[in-house]
Amino acid sequence: MAQISKLQPYLFLAPSFAILLVFLIFPLSWNIYIALHDVSLITLLKEWEYVGLENFVTLFDDPNFYTSLKVTLMFVGGSVALQFGMGILMAIVLNQQIRGSGVYRAILIIPWTISAVIAAFSFKFILDDNFGILNFILNQLGVESVGWLSDPNIVIWSLVMANMWYGTPFTLLFLTAGLLSINPSLYEAARIDGASKMRSLFHITLPLLKPFMIINLILITMWSVNLFDIQLIMTGGGPLFSSTTASLYMYRQAFEFGLLSKGAAAGIILILINLTVAVIYVKFLRR
Amino acid sequence: MKQDRSKNENHKFTRIFKSGDKTNHQRTSSGLGERLILYGLIAIFLFITFSPIVWIFSTSLKQNQEAMSFPPKLIPEDPTLENFIFVLTDPTLVQSLLNSFIVSIGSTLLSVTVSALGGYAFARFEFKGKNMIISIILGLFMIPVVINIVPLYIMLADLGLLNSLFALMLTFQILIIPLNILLLKSYFETIPQDLEESALLDGCSRLGVLRRITIPLSMPGFAIAAVLSFRFAWNEFILAVVLANHPDSTVFQVALYQFISLYRIDWGYLSAGITIAIIPVLVLMLSFQKNMVRGLTLGAIRG
Amino acid sequence: MVFILSSAFLISVIFTGLVNSLYAQKEQVTLTAIVAEPKERWDVLFDNASKKLNENHPDMDIQIDYRVLPYDATRTQILTSMAGRTPIDLISVDQIWLGEFAEGGFLTDLTQNATSWGREGDWYPVNWEGGKYEDKIYGIWAWTDVRALWYWKDLLRDAGVDPRTLETWNGYLSAAQKLNDALGQQGIQGSHLVGASHSPDMWYPYLWMLGGDILEERSGHPTKGTYWFPAYNSTEGVQSLEFIKRQVDAGIKPQVNHFWGQEFADKKFAMMLEGSWLLGTFPREQWAGLNQSVGMIPMFPVPNEGNKSATMMGGWVLSIPETSENKDLSWELLTLLVDPEILTTMLEKEGYLPTQKPIAEGSYSQSLNATIPYYSDMISMIPVGHSRPNIPEYPQISDNIREAIDGVYFGGKDPGQALQESAVKTAEVLGW
Repeated sequence: MAQISKLQPYLFLAPSFAILLVFLIFPLSWNIYIALHDVSLITLLKEWEYVGLENFVTLFDDPNFYTSLKVTLMFVGGSVALQFGMGILMAIVLNQQIRGSGVYRAILIIPWTISAVIAAFSFKFILDDNFGILNFILNQLGVESVGWLSDPNIVIWSLVMANMWYGTPFTLLFLTAGLLSINPSLYEAARIDGASKMRSLFHITLPLLKPFMIINLILITMWSVNLFDIQLIMTGGGPLFSSTTASLYMYRQAFEFGLLSKGAAAGIILILINLTVAVIYVKFLRR
Repeated sequence: MKQDRSKNENHKFTRIFKSGDKTNHQRTSSGLGERLILYGLIAIFLFITFSPIVWIFSTSLKQNQEAMSFPPKLIPEDPTLENFIFVLTDPTLVQSLLNSFIVSIGSTLLSVTVSALGGYAFARFEFKGKNMIISIILGLFMIPVVINIVPLYIMLADLGLLNSLFALMLTFQILIIPLNILLLKSYFETIPQDLEESALLDGCSRLGVLRRITIPLSMPGFAIAAVLSFRFAWNEFILAVVLANHPDSTVFQVALYQFISLYRIDWGYLSAGITIAIIPVLVLMLSFQKNMVRGLTLGAIRG
Repeated sequence: MVFILSSAFLISVIFTGLVNSLYAQKEQVTLTAIVAEPKERWDVLFDNASKKLNENHPDMDIQIDYRVLPYDATRTQILTSMAGRTPIDLISVDQIWLGEFAEGGFLTDLTQNATSWGREGDWYPVNWEGGKYEDKIYGIWAWTDVRALWYWKDLLRDAGVDPRTLETWNGYLSAAQKLNDALGQQGIQGSHLVGASHSPDMWYPYLWMLGGDILEERSGHPTKGTYWFPAYNSTEGVQSLEFIKRQVDAGIKPQVNHFWGQEFADKKFAMMLEGSWLLGTFPREQWAGLNQSVGMIPMFPVPNEGNKSATMMGGWVLSIPETSENKDLSWELLTLLVDPEILTTMLEKEGYLPTQKPIAEGSYSQSLNATIPYYSDMISMIPVGHSRPNIPEYPQISDNIREAIDGVYFGGKDPGQALQESAVKTAEVLGW
């Protein structure tokens, strides 16, 4: 009995790990392999020359890659701040005693049920400089048109806006769950002690929500770092690289330019970025 | 005797869940000003979320000519169901809708099953390398899936699994298994262990315990895992377009793309398609909503 | 019961065997193809070609399994299928991808087939060359498009603009301003400027008409001896990009979203430089009377009256992947797809332009002339049509050029400096 149970946990884990190993970890190791070789559309069917870290070197020699890191910082920073801020506000507001909050919640979740590709197309048209409905409404209100997709200083925030719309529902859903896990008797006790609502929010709700917030932040950050379809469809990274995030940079290197090795190297950098961010979150928020 | 006992326990737990659910809201009487602020905020949220959707829906009811017209009109001049009829009668689109259902349901069942097993192992056993394996799972979220397209394709080609719905079900697992394992692990941890132990003493096997006690008790957790799986499988585009583009194995999100061609976008058809694509996930979300929220509640995720 | 079931089973086995043996007399072949959207054009082509192919081979039952993919996905799909060595028999290759795919060993060398086919003379030389890479034939350029200047007759009339003034740079600019002033109130813009990622395509014609070029061959390459070197930062390049800058300064807004002519058909622009596919955005039943409302000038504006204009030609090349297991049959299919008889039907429906003289000018041109508005005007542009280099590095070069144009559009950069910076990057991409 004891002998078997030692093996048992591994047997339980076997099916999921088999799938992850084959479909995720094996392809990843292929990418690590080609990141160290010279593989492009041209050499794909020929012998792959071992080049060591050269792909990483060319990556860091490319000023556009640095730009893309800067853009990533803005895109991810903006997206996470807005998704998280909106999401937690929605979750807390809908957690108050409000008639029909279930229905509101269901409606607010809709954007998440649309695929990123379609969401991106919808926003591309809504935000079109000349024919988009947003500028049309602004004009009706007597406001000048805004170059949502053409002004290099604005375009990244248009993408952040689209990503906020698309991604907030996950935070709402996730943090609602966290809120509901808090024992209501705590609030009751606080109320009897004469604490204000704001006080119980800061002293009971938020501290208890922390574990949920950490996971939630890690997930939405990684999804934002890795997201590329919204940028690809809405702006193609332009104008002037002002909306080329590192993920889009990676996609374009690998698939538009056929430089598979360079794309793989950029992908590995992305993973390292994710890793750093995750460690920082856990370190600073877990206390 | 044995069965009776677990039944009793079962009742007790459902009672706890239910009472817990009812009193979970912050229960304080609020003043008029506060109400106004709350409803004001809700109105803003709804407006931000809803306006693009209303726009899509209104476009789906327009004639194709009107869908592109400028200045744009919110209310269709001559509303028509033509776009919906077109989408729902086009054989490729109907086939792809069917494929999407098969793939989404299949990958939901698969991911929930294997994730439940995995999550259970983490929740109930102490074993070598446990913490490391959990970190690895969290780490798997960090991999940008798109760079894996080429190796995935090569691999599926070697296995002869290209253009099969089954391969899509398997591939979509990489998007969802890590999340589901973490979710279900936390969920199982909330179920008292002594309940299972007594069943074990009564001679139930581990799998038997899982099937008779743990799973029924954690149905809400399964509900949210299922909705998440379904949503990820239903919405996936890039993997689907590369790995399965044979007309027989196209999924709906890919098929919708036919309205977005290089030379023109059939905005009327496309928005009708989008509206149709929203419905299944929405229905699932709504029908599971009570369960889902409770599911995440008890399955408090401890990272 | 058991008896009935088993005899039913037996009978069905015998029956299927019989049917199978009947069919077995015909060899079953499936040809697979990956082609780019839009779909209708391929439906027409493959439908007719497969009928003909089966007629040619009565002993065979040939099925054509073609997948129509979005533009980006077509490229990704070709790349991944080659990596996975999936047998594919026919692909549509954007003319600019040809060198990359050929160099990568994805494509079958069709030189021999094409020589014995003997139809080379039917093609316009520039189009025939477009299927070549390093003197070998890797594909047949099936159809093309030219970019020209389109305008709404009534809008120009209302604004008091004489269409003939659009032919020169200065005339074009002042017309655009005039149109903006007159029509801005109605939400109609005077003229259009492509600001999307393919903006270089709309700049090249100006470069070419001045005698400049994108690349030039130069000796002394560190690894390749004689190889391509950026030439677009020449004085011609600067001059032509300055004209683009003048357009922006004159109030023509670069459009980040390109709707491929739909914006013109919807009368959001009074005039527009756009490809011949623009016709496809008009309903077919309007084609007959289209020249009453829409005017067309078969040129890009030139610096001075009487200068020679230029245009860019795009289009699709048909190739046979190296992985094809039925190369002879695939070649036969390819020749059928570009057979005037079959191709003309499709061109007529979609409004694309032929790359072959017999269709463009010969016996087939009559029906095209009768159905496609301004057909002969468009054909007249083919001699001044240029194509983009199809070398493997082109996608990156195009991106560098786009950066220069974007700098002028949105960053207020000086054209000369923008091109210079871009050319340095391109030289690096080319291995200099």
